[in-house]
Formats: sequence, structure tokens, C-alpha cells
Amino acid sequence: MAGEFELTRNITIGQYLPTGSVIHRLDPRYKLAAYVIIVIAIAMCSSYLGNLVALAFCLWLFWQSRIPIHYGISGIKPAVPFIIILGVLQLLFYGGIATGGTVYFEYAFVKITSASIKLVIVSAVRFVEIIFISSVLTLSTSTTQLTHGMERLLSPLEKVKFPVHTFAVVITIAVRFVPTFAMEMEKMMKAQASRGAEFGTGEWWRIVKRTKDMFPIIIPLFNVAMTRAEDLILAMEARCYTPGAARSAYNHYRAAARDYAALAVGILAALILLIVPDPL
Amino acid sequence: MSQPLLQVKGLRHTYMRGTPLEHTALHGVDMYANKGECVAIIGHTGSGKSTLIQHFNGLQLPESGQVVIDGVDLSQPKLNVKELRKKVGLVFQNPEDQLFEKLVGDDVAYGPFKQGLPLEQVVEQVKWAMELVGLSFEEMKDRATYALSGGQKRKVALAGVLALRPKILVLDEPTAGLDPKSRKELLERIRYLNRQEQLTVIFVSHNMEEVAYLADRVYVMAGGCVVCSGTPREIFGNRSVLEEHQAGAPETVEILYRLYDRGFDVKPDAFLVEEAAQEILSVLPGIRR
Repeated sequence: MAGEFELTRNITIGQYLPTGSVIHRLDPRYKLAAYVIIVIAIAMCSSYLGNLVALAFCLWLFWQSRIPIHYGISGIKPAVPFIIILGVLQLLFYGGIATGGTVYFEYAFVKITSASIKLVIVSAVRFVEIIFISSVLTLSTSTTQLTHGMERLLSPLEKVKFPVHTFAVVITIAVRFVPTFAMEMEKMMKAQASRGAEFGTGEWWRIVKRTKDMFPIIIPLFNVAMTRAEDLILAMEARCYTPGAARSAYNHYRAAARDYAALAVGILAALILLIVPDPL
Repeated sequence: MSQPLLQVKGLRHTYMRGTPLEHTALHGVDMYANKGECVAIIGHTGSGKSTLIQHFNGLQLPESGQVVIDGVDLSQPKLNVKELRKKVGLVFQNPEDQLFEKLVGDDVAYGPFKQGLPLEQVVEQVKWAMELVGLSFEEMKDRATYALSGGQKRKVALAGVLALRPKILVLDEPTAGLDPKSRKELLERIRYLNRQEQLTVIFVSHNMEEVAYLADRVYVMAGGCVVCSGTPREIFGNRSVLEEHQAGAPETVEILYRLYDRGFDVKPDAFLVEEAAQEILSVLPGIRR
């Protein structure tokens, strides 16, 4: 109950855990590129063995970055309902779409085959892997580094008139304000609770009541967000921010040997995941 | 002496417990407030003031140590938090942010309605609370909240907490960010609530003039501990404490200390404006008291 209002504790996005490890010191461009490659490989890898390798790889990353594993595990908690719902749907309906595999159970349109069971297990593990590897990325990279890296990686898109810089600014601001609004919301919940408000105490099926309970928080929060946005605009313009203007950068990244090595490890891991034959 | 209305003993609190970011905000705090008293808590940002006052209405529960309010121990497992929050009204910093209803009256009525009171009683309590903070019920109840000035919004928010009829009113920097006129008005209202309505008031402030004006007793906090407590006269008269914790003092005290340093025979703890004036007059040559 005492933790009822400690919202900031449960938000891992944008939380940076400086341990000074090798992974922390990587050039964000290369780190991000390696991350994208590995995530794509994980998404395409549908074998048991491949996913086992990927899981081991993720754990190795935690060890390398000296981030306690429970950070990754706490990142999984909010995703558990999704994993379960996804798993149930796949278990019940995938067998009807996919061909092949042994049929274990069949009733009306529900068909459970060895293929669907495999899919359920593999996609759950994949989910966990992606959460793990994303946690390592965000916990080892500050948000400024992350957006700088992203901006640099996307810069070729400027050729096709994609507003890369604006995009990066939007992402930076959005991520920057997650903890701020979490704190603001925490304060609001406490203030309204002091006036007798209750949150999340109604039965879960009384959706209307539970939504109405949130009004005393949501409405002031919107207000605060608007005020903050206006202040931010003024603050940015006061410091000569001009949308679309060419801007130089304060940080210049120069890749070192370890950055190439990291990219190479990423590509290697991805290749291993992709060449593991499917039946395994 | 009978049991104080609010008693805190050896209170500790740690944020983000069990994570690498954990930090202890309170290291064993002791304090009390008697019925009808006005108690000020002063100290720097990060000294634990806000964490402390959040224990008074059960937003934070004691991790170790004891908080007893009106005979109710907050550590007991079967604590009725709702009852507690009815007894202790907590007004946060910038409370005007928390207004969410379209009309002033509705917003003030939110708390009493949440308590499930019948309509007539809600109206009565809203009226009482609004008049107390100096808002005319008839005139203001149907005004739109967003069209009010900052000072008025804050009064509405204060009324929203008072409408719960608390026994203890806890305020976190009640006048921060207000213009001088609203500040003066609000302080007068708080003083009225304390002196005339016998409401026990506990407030956090950085403004020593406010502390001098309102408080019966002062607690100085630093680094999660109460480092000093006493009447304003004792605190402002204790120069070493003021300097060590950079607590600041009202201008009257500052001037008297400066005179004292130049060798004038004044009592620096005369913090009330009239007293300070007398002290200064007493050392002016050629003027006899």
C-alpha cells in the first residue's frame, strides 16, 4: 500500500543506470544499429534452438553491461497479460491456419497442433528476449545519446525529404517528459487522494466508474501538460530554436574499434539466429 | 500534559527501496503538534519536509518509527486511511493545479461527495469552507475554475480540502508563487483558521516572514533529521543554528543582528515588526522611549 503512489519506480523507459560498462561506453550509433539487427533476427528466428541461443545472448548482454537481471525481469511484468492473451489466441486458432504438424486436439474451429504449440512457446520467448535486449539498450544508453544516435542513423532519409531532425526532437521531448509527467501524476494522485479520491478500488468490470475515478487526475494533468508545452516553446525559442534550420551538433561521435566489434558481434549473432534450421 | 494531536517518533523513510537508486529521506524524525497549535517546518529542498508531511495523512506509511494522529497509530495494519484523510487535510504545493471541475462549487464539493455525505450537508460544508477562505459562496460557486486568478484558484483548492472539515490542516509552501496581495490575504486566512477556528495548522515554508507571522513553534530540518526546534523567538535568537543550516531569518531579525554586530545593545530575537521597531528606537540617539 505504501508503494501505491511510487509510480516513478515502475517506469523503466528512459531510466538510465550508469554502471560504466563496455556496453555503456559504446558509440550509440553502432549500439543502436546492432540492436536493430538483432531484434530483426529475433523476430525472424522461429526455432527452439535459435531462441535458446538468443536468450543466452541476452543474458550475456546483461552480464556484460553489469545491469542486475531483475531490471529486465521487472520490464517483463507489465507485458505478461499481453503474452498470455497472445499465447491463448495462437494456441486456439493458429492450428487452423497453419498446415502440417501433428494434431493433438480438434473441436469445431479450434485446432491445436504441434505447430501451434511451438509458435506459442517461441513467440513468448521472443517477447521476453526483445524486452531484455531493449532494457539493456535503454538502461545502458542515456536518452540524449539514444536520440542522437537515432538522428545520425536516420540522416540518410533526409535525401527523401524525411524531417529527421524534427523527428528526433519530437522523440527527445517525448522521452524527456515521461518521468516528469510520472512525477506530476504521482503528485496529482496524492493531492486527490488527500481529498478522498480512490483509484483502482472499484470492481474491474465497472469500467465507467473506474474511468470516472481517473478524471480528477487526467484533467489537471492535461492542463499541466499544456502549460508545460507552452513554457517549453517559449524556452526553446528564447534560445533561438528555429524549426527546420540547419543545426550543428555538440556531440561528435567517432567510432572506435570496440564499436566496430559490437556491430560485428550483433551481425554475427543475427546470422547465427537466422541460419539455425527451422525444425530444431 | 495530554497526548498531542500529532506525534511522530523515530520516523524513517527510504525511497526506491531495494533498487540501486534507493535513498533515505528521513532518518528518525521526532516531532509533535498540540491541538490548536500552528507549527512551521523549515529547511532546505531535499531535507525531507515533503516526505514527512506525506506521512501525516497516510500517503506514506511509517517504515520504522511511529506516527500517532488523534490517538490513531498509523503503523497498525488495519488503518482506515479514508478516516485519517478526513481528519488531516493536506494541501500540496501549487494546489491550484489539482482543480478539475468546471465550476468552483463542484470542485470544492468533490471531497465531501466522495465521503458520501447527503446533499444538504455537502452544500453546508462547501459554503462554510468557501466563506472561510474568503470566497463568497453565492457569488463564486457557479464561476468557471479556469477563469480565476492564481490566488483565487489557490483559495478554491484550499477550500476543497477544508470542506472535508479536517482537524489538522497541513500546507506545503502555501504562498509560493503568489503575488504579494494574494499572499497576504492567504496568510491572514490561515491565521484566522488557526486562531479563531482552532484548527491545528502545520506548514512548510521557505519564507521566514511567514514563519514569524504564523508559527507558534518551528522545526528546522536538514538531511532528513530535525536539527532544531523551538518557538520562533528561540530559533531566530539562535544565530549559530540559523547560520549552520542557512535557514534564514525574517528581515527584522537580520537588521537587529546587523545592529548588534556594530555594537548596539539590541535583542536580536525581537522578530515581530513592532518589537523590532522598539528595539531600534531604543538605540537611536536623542529619542527617549
